[in-house]
Amino acid sequence: MKLLIVDDSSIIRSRIARIMSDPRLPSLMIVGMAKNGAEAMELFSQTQPDLVTMDLTMPEMDGVECTESLSKLNGDVGILVVSALSDKATAIKALKKGAKGFLYKPFTDEQLVNALLEMMS
Amino acid sequence: MADITEQEIRVFVDAVNRYFEQITGEKARIRGSFLAEGETQLPIYDFTGLISLSGQYRGCIYFSATRILLMRLLLAMQEPRQTDAHMLDAVGEIANTLAGNAREYFGETMDISVPTTFHGFSDLLKSAVRKRPYVIMIKWKQYEAAVIVDVVRK
Repeated sequence: MKLLIVDDSSIIRSRIARIMSDPRLPSLMIVGMAKNGAEAMELFSQTQPDLVTMDLTMPEMDGVECTESLSKLNGDVGILVVSALSDKATAIKALKKGAKGFLYKPFTDEQLVNALLEMMS
Repeated sequence: MADITEQEIRVFVDAVNRYFEQITGEKARIRGSFLAEGETQLPIYDFTGLISLSGQYRGCIYFSATRILLMRLLLAMQEPRQTDAHMLDAVGEIANTLAGNAREYFGETMDISVPTTFHGFSDLLKSAVRKRPYVIMIKWKQYEAAVIVDVVRK
């Protein structure tokens, strides 16, 4: 399965990429990393990922808008929102726009692995 | 407009504790929290990340830390890159996480900006922070940082 990582923090992008080397996720291949929603749209078209980790608070195009746009392009894509925005209304909004899961920051390696495994199943 | 209460500051203290424990496995120690009044000098360390608030709230939240704390934190995250750009990225991400986590209590009507980050002092802080912010002093391992919370309800 192909994974696209979307986050405005290069530290978080690298961390998610590193966690992908977990032996429980052998079938995941990172096909791109984007630092905002606009870049994610471009990479999405080029790489056609099956899974996306999506930050919400980003410049240019935020994660909710990007989630909605990506879901319109491909309703089957699994979008896991990875965000610090911890209010219920935001999670519900993201899910309504097409996200399939939500993981709050700060997260542990284990929590991200489990969330991705759940998405893949 | 009404200042948030001292009890509500606990939301940010809890967010700080959760951040360090989740990311490093080691809790931060809160050295103290107080209302900064009058001519109290606000703590500014080497790198600072600032979040502006809007919606039903106004004000800002900033996280400021020493270079050494950030170096250790990046190592704990297995991030080998230690440039100034990575330090700025780290303080921005932490400020964003603390503000974002606070929405669990304050709700979605607390709009938070993307972080603004800087090295050393910035005049931005003078205009962003009002006269009576809360200061939360942090120690993680032996390294220092601070969170400044300046939030009012509209």
